[in-house]
Amino acid sequence: MGWAWGHATDPDDQLDIDATRRVLGRTARMLLPYRRGALGAVGLIVLWTAMLLAGPLLVRRGIDEGIAKGDSGQLNVSIGLYVVVAIVSYLCFRNAIVLLARVGEGFLRDMRTRVFDSLLRQSMAFYDREKAGVLVSRMTSDVDSLQELVQFGLIMFTSAALLLIGSFVILMVLSWQLMLLCAVAVPFVALASVKFQRDSNKAYLAVREEIGDTLSTLQEGISGVRVVQAFAREEVEARRFSDANFSLYRTHMASVRIQCWYLPIVEFAGAATTALALGVGGWMVREGRLSLGTVVAFILLLSTLFEPVQQLSQLFNMVQSATASLHKLYGLIDEPLEIADPVDGVDMPTGEPIVLDSVSFGYAGGDPVLRDVDLEIAPGERVAFVGPTGAGKSTMAKLIARFYDPTVGSVRVGDVDLRDIGLRSLRDHVVVVPQEGYLFSGTIADNIRVARPEASDAEVRDAIDRIGVLDRFEQLPEGLATEVRERGSRLSAGEKQLVSLARAALADPSVLILDEATSSVDPGTEAAVETAMETLMRDRTVIAIAHRLSTSERCDRVAVVSDGRLVELGSHDELVAAGGHYFALYDAWVVGLGHDS
Amino acid sequence: MLLGMLASVMWTAGRVTVPLMVQLGLDRGVREDGPLLGWVLLILGAGFVSAVFLGVRRYLAFRNARIIEAKLRDRIFAHVQRLHFSFHDANATGELMSRGNTDLQHFQNVVVLVPLTFGNFLIVCAVTLIMVIIQPMLALLALVSLPFVNVLGRRFAQRLHPAVLAVQQEAAQLAAVVEETVSGVRVVKGFGSEPVQAAKLEVEADDVFDESMRASVIRARYMPAIEVLPNIGLITVLGYGGHLVLNGDMTVGELVSFNIYVLMLVQPLRMLGMIVANAQRAASAGERISEVLETAPRIVDPERPVPLPATGALGRVEFRNVSFDYRPDTDAGVLNGLDLTIEPGESVALVGATGSGKSTVARLLPRFYDVDRGDVRLDGVDVRTVRRQELRRAVGIVFEETFLFSSSIRDNIAFADPEATQDVVERAARLAGADEFIAEMPEGYDTVIGERGFSLSGGQRQRLAIARAILADPRVLILDDATSAVDPTKEHEIRDALGEVMARRTTIVIAHRPATIALADRVVLLDNGRVAAEGTHAELLAGNERYREVLAVDRAAPGAGA
Repeated sequence: MGWAWGHATDPDDQLDIDATRRVLGRTARMLLPYRRGALGAVGLIVLWTAMLLAGPLLVRRGIDEGIAKGDSGQLNVSIGLYVVVAIVSYLCFRNAIVLLARVGEGFLRDMRTRVFDSLLRQSMAFYDREKAGVLVSRMTSDVDSLQELVQFGLIMFTSAALLLIGSFVILMVLSWQLMLLCAVAVPFVALASVKFQRDSNKAYLAVREEIGDTLSTLQEGISGVRVVQAFAREEVEARRFSDANFSLYRTHMASVRIQCWYLPIVEFAGAATTALALGVGGWMVREGRLSLGTVVAFILLLSTLFEPVQQLSQLFNMVQSATASLHKLYGLIDEPLEIADPVDGVDMPTGEPIVLDSVSFGYAGGDPVLRDVDLEIAPGERVAFVGPTGAGKSTMAKLIARFYDPTVGSVRVGDVDLRDIGLRSLRDHVVVVPQEGYLFSGTIADNIRVARPEASDAEVRDAIDRIGVLDRFEQLPEGLATEVRERGSRLSAGEKQLVSLARAALADPSVLILDEATSSVDPGTEAAVETAMETLMRDRTVIAIAHRLSTSERCDRVAVVSDGRLVELGSHDELVAAGGHYFALYDAWVVGLGHDS
Repeated sequence: MLLGMLASVMWTAGRVTVPLMVQLGLDRGVREDGPLLGWVLLILGAGFVSAVFLGVRRYLAFRNARIIEAKLRDRIFAHVQRLHFSFHDANATGELMSRGNTDLQHFQNVVVLVPLTFGNFLIVCAVTLIMVIIQPMLALLALVSLPFVNVLGRRFAQRLHPAVLAVQQEAAQLAAVVEETVSGVRVVKGFGSEPVQAAKLEVEADDVFDESMRASVIRARYMPAIEVLPNIGLITVLGYGGHLVLNGDMTVGELVSFNIYVLMLVQPLRMLGMIVANAQRAASAGERISEVLETAPRIVDPERPVPLPATGALGRVEFRNVSFDYRPDTDAGVLNGLDLTIEPGESVALVGATGSGKSTVARLLPRFYDVDRGDVRLDGVDVRTVRRQELRRAVGIVFEETFLFSSSIRDNIAFADPEATQDVVERAARLAGADEFIAEMPEGYDTVIGERGFSLSGGQRQRLAIARAILADPRVLILDDATSAVDPTKEHEIRDALGEVMARRTTIVIAHRPATIALADRVVLLDNGRVAAEGTHAELLAGNERYREVLAVDRAAPGAGA
């Protein structure tokens, strides 16, 4: 009983009939490749349910044909049939589980890969907009809520529904008069079940929220324990936690109370209908209008009639939350692509300048971030984009990598619009090195190979060697095979940046966009990072989003962005001499480096 | 507890009475044409009793279990809050989280089951007894297959558990791929490595599929068998019992009640099988919980605490021949006979390479750890003889890794003193150079930050942490690399403000940036857990090669540090 308990759907997520129909239609289409298995499974479940219902009927047959008539032969026939029924039901159930699992798990596997493919195709603007936690939860909790349904929910739901309908039909056929009489209990149970389903949904949502609160308070208390102790606030925090914890207790109890009034109603309904069947049925037997076996079958069937009702009301929550999850997953699969790969994309031209032609850009519904920018970058030129945080310098660089498309104007390579270049070719030629050295799980070598999965070990080593840090990584106990996420072998922030730069060296693109880190790293690595950058910036077009004087000094030209506009353009020396925006930034940098002390 | 048992007894009594009344009704009422209404009413009565006490017993069982769970979780939290730093260094947050979460769940599951099991056990006994009284031989035949429900149920739970864990593990690996792809999307897009990630996910999705199928095969092996077993009992009842009725040795009513009784035993037997499997898990969970609860806090208040002096020039810090190591078993200690005195109101910058012990100095003064040898004194008093609360109020520290709570900015700054007025909070924010960006936030000081709220940059977080320390108004302020994430172009703003804070109290600054170091009156260079040199920044820069090396002022060697 407990397994279905623990599902709930937010009122906001509950679907109307139209949406439900769309979700179901879509699911049916996705299940098409599995239609044989699915049909087979449904067939087996139907057969299994029929066998469950056959039991009491065979007892009736045994009593009426065998015992009542004193015919031991007929009794033995009933027994034999019962044995067959038991074997068939065992086989049906067993195969239904395997078959349904194959269909369901296969469906989930397709779902996972399709949702993930859709995620990978989305533009940067999509990732700016959506919260990472929500996207991850689509692939985890939303898919997981389907998994439980696939594993047993679906079997239970189908068979409970069939059992209910089957019992009802059989009872009507056995004696519709008696059944109608017993049906007086149905409205009570039905009403109670509907109310229970709603209340338990609400109660479970409350419990889930309270659990979330309590666990995040717990988590905060543990991960922030050093701060708590540093400020001698242990007692206060313990009291605060206690409040959250006992409010969870109260919510738990509220949901227990809901079960505690509902389950007795179902239990009593079973006893009451049994009493009715015995009283009225017994009277009908005495009148000669009903056989004794029928009354017995009635009593046996009634005793199992209300269990499916109770299961259904709990399974309903499970099915509802699965439908809501499916709706969200389909939404993600169908998310329109903002940056689409052009049909018949051309290859990226080489040896041509990059041209920003009166480019403006703004995020959907927001103020423009860039206004009317014109800039031409010659092949092999190194340009630093500088400016205050939020001025638009990184947006400008990302337009060149086609992370976004300009709202107005165009970005071109030579005469070719970026939007006409095949994404594969574009990514091969234009590489963006993000400011934080983000590492994936795996070894250092795996992490560098992200830039070119087919690269050989020698090529990976060569790339690291080119930026001058091969010794540094090889002296680690396991060298390039060091797992980066394992405890103890944590790389420092600076070393992560070095890995990131080695990736760029391996990719060896013709256009490199470097997003420099703002935060300082330990002095030991800082020098290595600077050297690596210097090496990387040779012999290619480089766009550096610079936060450091040393980087912009190293470039051929500096483009100063302020408030979404390109306000100054020229060499470092020219701009310092001009005494404008760049000079002001330069001044702040020099002070920051402590050169004046 | 007694109440719960009583409820179980009543529920059992009501439950087993129903089939008995059905039997008597069928035999005496229907077949012998006796009065029927009495039996009908008795069934209703027994059904009512069993229904009411079903609810009561469930309520009592859950209330009991939830109370125990809540109290235990409270104790775990309060205890963990008091445990020393070295305990937390050795135990990851996630580990401790599972003590207060999954382990507690395992435990709670069984606590619920105990009273329910008592009821189930009663049912099994009562039903068996009744069946034996009615027809001993048939009872034996009908019941002989039922213990297997229990056995299979137990084995099923034992087999399924590792399979389900394996599925969860694969699912977690899949989630890890999704998580790293989403949070590293800039890298993925930057290098065009979508196919790499897609291939990784495909592998994980296949693994999840395989493990799930394995679990399903286990389900397919046990669930139908458990389901079909009672049928063996039912067939025996019909077969052997039917012939008994034919021979006149049993009534039809008894046959029917046997049928109902066999069905009535299925659920309780299945649950009895479950509790054995769960109990094993609960026992090891309980062990892990009590391990935490039995760890004694190592940093405790002295029995006769000495108060810190309250008047005169305050904030004198002395380290006298201090040796310390995080792990006493290793040879090279972190601090080896450190001697350092800081005068009231003085500001000192600690400089040293990684592992030189500068952060350790910062952690010994508020007594996060106890020294191995020597002593640490604040205003002449050994820190071990001061009440922790008093000591930590007197010493404020800003950690290198900023930790902020998921609450409003105001609450975060006023952490040391939640009653602080808005003026005090704003002043602390101003001194930390945080007032400007707070003013630009959507709801100013009421903006909720953290996981579910507004996310701040590293530099902004550090400035809030500084404001939090300033608000506590400690006599000694320690800044442990507290401005490392602040944008270099903005750092001078904080520096100006910090000058004001530092002017009025003893300050210990740990930093890499020359400009920050230059703020201090005196610079202390640490090497190998001892003071290697002292002087002003300019003096050391001019006269100490090691100092220049540590600050990497000479940028001559490419790939330095290799």
